[in-house]
Amino acid sequence: MAEPIEGRVAVSSNGNVPTRDTHARNVGRESVSRLLPSSATLRAQVRQWWPYYAMMAPGLIFFIIWHYVPIWEAKMAFEQVRIIPPNIWVGLKNFQVLFSSPIFYQVLANTLIISGMKILFVFPVPIIVALLLNEIRSGKLRGTLQSAIYLPHFLSWVVISGVFIALLSPTDGAVNQIQTALGFQPVSYMTNTGTIRWVLVISEIWRSAGWDSLLYLAAIFAIDPQLYEAAEMDGANRWQKIWHVTIPGIVPTIATLFILNMGMFLSADLNQVINMQNDVNASTIDILDTYVYRLGLSTGEYALATAAGLFKAVIGMILVVTSHLVSKRLTGKGVW
Amino acid sequence: MTLKKLLLATTAIAMLAGLAAPAMAQTTLRLVSKDLLSTNPDDMKEIEAIEAALKAQGVDVDIQTVDLPGGTSAYVEALGIMLLSGDIPDIMYFQGGDQKMADQGILEDLTPYIEASANVKAALWPHNVDRLANYPYLLYIYPPRAPQPVIRQDWLEKLGLEAPKTVEEYEALFQAIHDADLDGDGTAGNTLGLTGFGNTGELDSIFNQAFGVTGTWMKNADGQWVNARVTDAEKAKIEFYARLAEKGLFDKEYVTNTFDVKEDKFYTGKAGVVFGSSPEVIDIYAGKMRQAHPGEDIFLTLLPIPSGPGGRGLAAVDVSKESRGWAISSLSEHKEEAFKVLDFMASKEGQDIDRLGFEGTQYTRNDSGQVVFNDAISTWYARFFNAANWTPPTPLLSPTAQEALDTIKANFVADNAFVWPAEFAADVDATEQVYRSWVAKFITGEAGLDQWDAFVAEYNAAGGERMAEHARTVLGE
Repeated sequence: MAEPIEGRVAVSSNGNVPTRDTHARNVGRESVSRLLPSSATLRAQVRQWWPYYAMMAPGLIFFIIWHYVPIWEAKMAFEQVRIIPPNIWVGLKNFQVLFSSPIFYQVLANTLIISGMKILFVFPVPIIVALLLNEIRSGKLRGTLQSAIYLPHFLSWVVISGVFIALLSPTDGAVNQIQTALGFQPVSYMTNTGTIRWVLVISEIWRSAGWDSLLYLAAIFAIDPQLYEAAEMDGANRWQKIWHVTIPGIVPTIATLFILNMGMFLSADLNQVINMQNDVNASTIDILDTYVYRLGLSTGEYALATAAGLFKAVIGMILVVTSHLVSKRLTGKGVW
Repeated sequence: MTLKKLLLATTAIAMLAGLAAPAMAQTTLRLVSKDLLSTNPDDMKEIEAIEAALKAQGVDVDIQTVDLPGGTSAYVEALGIMLLSGDIPDIMYFQGGDQKMADQGILEDLTPYIEASANVKAALWPHNVDRLANYPYLLYIYPPRAPQPVIRQDWLEKLGLEAPKTVEEYEALFQAIHDADLDGDGTAGNTLGLTGFGNTGELDSIFNQAFGVTGTWMKNADGQWVNARVTDAEKAKIEFYARLAEKGLFDKEYVTNTFDVKEDKFYTGKAGVVFGSSPEVIDIYAGKMRQAHPGEDIFLTLLPIPSGPGGRGLAAVDVSKESRGWAISSLSEHKEEAFKVLDFMASKEGQDIDRLGFEGTQYTRNDSGQVVFNDAISTWYARFFNAANWTPPTPLLSPTAQEALDTIKANFVADNAFVWPAEFAADVDATEQVYRSWVAKFITGEAGLDQWDAFVAEYNAAGGERMAEHARTVLGE
């Protein structure tokens, strides 16, 4: 496709106006093929752009050292770790120990249930929050609200669990006092196996919905205002503008974050669970991470912990690839 | 000129060598401990005092502390990773995770050192001797931890009751606390008889023997070893706890309470009785209680061990191994010197430093030379040991705390628990989870005692049966 002539809008053969994304991608492809450096020009380019390479270097080095080099050490999952080298190769023994544990499948089920609930009930909330914030016309009010809902993100789970335990106390917790005043029986939410997973979901929403809405809000602000103007000219009301302009505009962001979330599906938040866990609810919210922490890290069984980590990583990767492919098929957007 | 320079240079080298000679004789020992950090001036002052005292005895050591994150779990993790990376200090304090290191031969067998020691052997408590015989890698010279209950003396007097001596009398005391308006808020019936935190471990300390839970492993009607957790004695005990909770006498929120919440309920009068995990902790409770009620002269009373249908006594003490303590690296080039440090800390001089602090800071001496403690002693704590044969020049403990220590000494009974082989790790974890979960459900009312058989079946399926079979091979007939 020819490059758009300045001041005109290029129209494709089917009559559709290309979006900014597809235009940029097409231009990008041509530019990349044209600009791919030969070995002869590479040095000249490095010399020309060295400040940018220098700025990129710390991040790159960080990723190589802390994210790529450790991948090699995942072989520990197949070894008996010896402090005095060498480690002894034990094949799949650590995985067998992990999978043969009487409570492993209960722990796995808990993880899947809690992660599933979070995807279902937590993931959409920041999107809704961002849409609502976007509808506030007063900049001052929006700024104040944004600051207020970001705040919980900066609290640790130790503090948040303390707040929730106090709030939900069956004897003097505010929630139960309101419930009692309304004529309901008090409920011990923290020690009730039927309610504790909902406590996890609600506390997660309270902590992260505001902060996570930032990305969606940024995506909303990036939507071309002309689209809203065009919609208004077509007589769209506020709801129709949200439905037909805003939401389609942030679908790529939603798809990307959803796919990335799927990669963390088996990590149902160790910090949150470990702080909310007690003897009564342990069987309901004991997740892979708490199990590995207890059995692996606290007793020095690092190979076992690595095996569990590798298991999680493989499942996470499968989920990422699957979600990417599904997203590509449904929305045309993915992470690559 | 050249000759003059040469002479000067030779003299300078000789002087430097002379200066360096004593330094070369000094042994550098690396020490890692949760409670000894280079950032804490008190810790460093103690280390310097230890070095000076050892030097006076002809042991010239430079103790270099390795700083790791504070907090038990963070420390355990960091220590494990440090050791795994091959960085192994000479002296290490473990609070878990040591067994893996011992299995790999990283920890020195301390038996020959203790046998030949000048001080450690005499400083051991009876349970230390048993634990070292079973697992000779960790040294932790402290009295066993046996939580004991305390109540405000004025509250007990107001109730007009004697200290309870039986399980029934305990229940009556809790009921009386609950029914009376001891905290003076104008409402009777809103005070808990007893509160706790996390699990029932504290309560078990005095009620296990009362209900006949005599040890980790007990013989069933067929004469076979079974875990005490699935016995009728355990069921009777849990039934008692559940009854207390149902009547509002025992805090149902104990599972969500943290230790500070438990304490707060005690200080603010929401609960009448709490357990102190050690004699020193009982004194801390007394101090905090007085701080919470300025102007009131409040003392705590230690409640006695009750007798019950199964007997009387403190819970049997696990002597399979120390759960925490000091170890020496088997890879250290200075094992002898490292043990000399530990041996010194068990001596009278070492204990004087470790337990009393420093003259002019934690204590002064009066005209007759007697030690008089000042306020700073309340924040001082022993970094190493609490030797069985050391007596403070001035009592460190209050009469109540001393009574608690005497009770621990008089009621020591060794348990029959043993160290599990690594292949049982998953079973041990699973059964622990099942037990704790069911006990908490029974007590909070989430499950009824009529489901006891379901608990036993789940416990056995989670690894309990396999563990019992192994126990029978270890414990014999």
